[in-house]
Amino acid sequence: MATISINTTALTRTYGSRRGVSDINLAIPAGSLYGFLGPNGAGKTTTIRVLLGFLRASAGSASILGMDCWRDSHRIKAEVGAIPGDLRLWPWLTGHSALKLFGRIRGRDIVARGRELAEVMELDLSVKVRQMSRGMRQKLGLILSMAHDPKVLILDEPTTALDPLMQDRLRKLLRARAEAGATVFFSSHTLAEVEELCERVAIVKQGQIVADSTLSQLRAQAVHEVMITWKAGVMPAEPPACLRLALRTNEQWRGTLASESETHLRELLAFAAAQPIADISISRPDLETIFMRYYDNKEMVGA
Amino acid sequence: MNFGLIQRSLREVWFASLAMSGIVFGITALFCYAMPRVQARFMQRSFIPQGVRQFRDAIFGGVDSTGASIAEVAFAIAWSHPLVLVPILAHAILVQTRVPAAEVERGTIDVLLALPVSRWNLYVSETVAWLLTAALTLGAMYGGAYFGAQFIKPEIRDVATPDWGRLLMVLVNLGLVYMVVGCLASLFTTLIDRRTWAVLCTLVLTLFSLLVSFLHTIDPALEFTKSMRFMSILDYYKPLAILRSGEWQVRDMTILLSTSLTLWIVTGVIFARRDITTT
Repeated sequence: MATISINTTALTRTYGSRRGVSDINLAIPAGSLYGFLGPNGAGKTTTIRVLLGFLRASAGSASILGMDCWRDSHRIKAEVGAIPGDLRLWPWLTGHSALKLFGRIRGRDIVARGRELAEVMELDLSVKVRQMSRGMRQKLGLILSMAHDPKVLILDEPTTALDPLMQDRLRKLLRARAEAGATVFFSSHTLAEVEELCERVAIVKQGQIVADSTLSQLRAQAVHEVMITWKAGVMPAEPPACLRLALRTNEQWRGTLASESETHLRELLAFAAAQPIADISISRPDLETIFMRYYDNKEMVGA
Repeated sequence: MNFGLIQRSLREVWFASLAMSGIVFGITALFCYAMPRVQARFMQRSFIPQGVRQFRDAIFGGVDSTGASIAEVAFAIAWSHPLVLVPILAHAILVQTRVPAAEVERGTIDVLLALPVSRWNLYVSETVAWLLTAALTLGAMYGGAYFGAQFIKPEIRDVATPDWGRLLMVLVNLGLVYMVVGCLASLFTTLIDRRTWAVLCTLVLTLFSLLVSFLHTIDPALEFTKSMRFMSILDYYKPLAILRSGEWQVRDMTILLSTSLTLWIVTGVIFARRDITTT
């Protein structure tokens, strides 16, 4: 069984009466690429801040590499590379001086590795941060978070301000780190980039994890989408119990199966066979749709 | 203590510290050049207005200046005049309100806290960097005094030049006042997270402390100042007493040292235990 690299148990963090995150349970194995998905304000950054020891958990526990995220925070960070969601660096730094300074603080030479990464990311290390564009600063932040070859990478929306080419290079770098045994915790609010990189994903919404599985499991768990187009001038019958409708007009019905059980599928087919329908489509949704369902969670029109 | 962090802090404050040291050097040099002449003229007079005497006593921490030499009074004034004290204390406030408040406001605190250094280590490193710049600023004051004294007119130089060893003792006393103000600024910045508010709170408290000194000297019968006297920072800073006697003001300096140490430890505990983030 793979070693658990990042572990949280019933992790809860509140801001007074405001919601932060509640009951977050994560068990991320070493060497995995783990996506942490959710809309803005869902609690992704709060979770990361607790993991990095900026915030103390209100309840529950969080550990990285077996060490407590609050008590052993500085020991953890020796093995962690992190990039905050809204990266700001000291304006007087250049890429070179940043590598030297961070290496000195970390107590190890990261200049050579940093230069290699800068070549990959196409970053001129002689430019001062105050003269850098947002994308350049993001690249420097990523280089600084990876130059010490950390065992765990915690990245809060790391592709912000990166062009598609650099996003692709970053993904390659992260895959290489994961192949070398490092754990990548990748937070994002867009499914597409998580889908391209991660093997496993947790979807967080309003401070709680609403799904945590591999992408293929997520796809398999998703209920079929159903679209029925009625013949013109026909009054459709009442929908069967197996069908949960989101749209219901005299021309078209759209919805999902109530569950993935075979019985429900048969029930739907039997219903459709007896109806005057012009067209019917029963399909598995793509990941984006699944993701949006978790985001939106719209009330279905009762069956 | 982390040398990389000390280097980072020094890089952040070197310009402000150099500029402030230059200002302190210049003002002190001017005062230490001019005050002996003013004092020599003053001492030729048989009558010193009551207001002037009270103001002088107030900035001397209530120490009576009767019988003091030109050098003692002149240098005591130069070393306790608000124009000299303000840039010195402003430097303490400027440097000590950076972490975490200024870093939080600038958004760089997340990067700083993501480094593999404990909060205590970060706090100690920040303090060491501060003390190094403090040594520069306070050294500039002593240097300014020495420089200014070189231009005192030859006819009064013998009576208008202080004992430099005693002036060094005054510098230590002032250094302790500086430490109290700096530690107070650090406490506010750790509690508040907003630099402007931290600066404002420290300034208000420091000015209140100075006001208590002045009000008490001007009207010792005031009940309000009697009860608040313990907060009067100038009561613990006695340049004239040190210059006259050449003795350490042990009680006052112990109070200043223990106050700054207490503030430093309390701030460190809060800094190590509290939640700190950009938003």
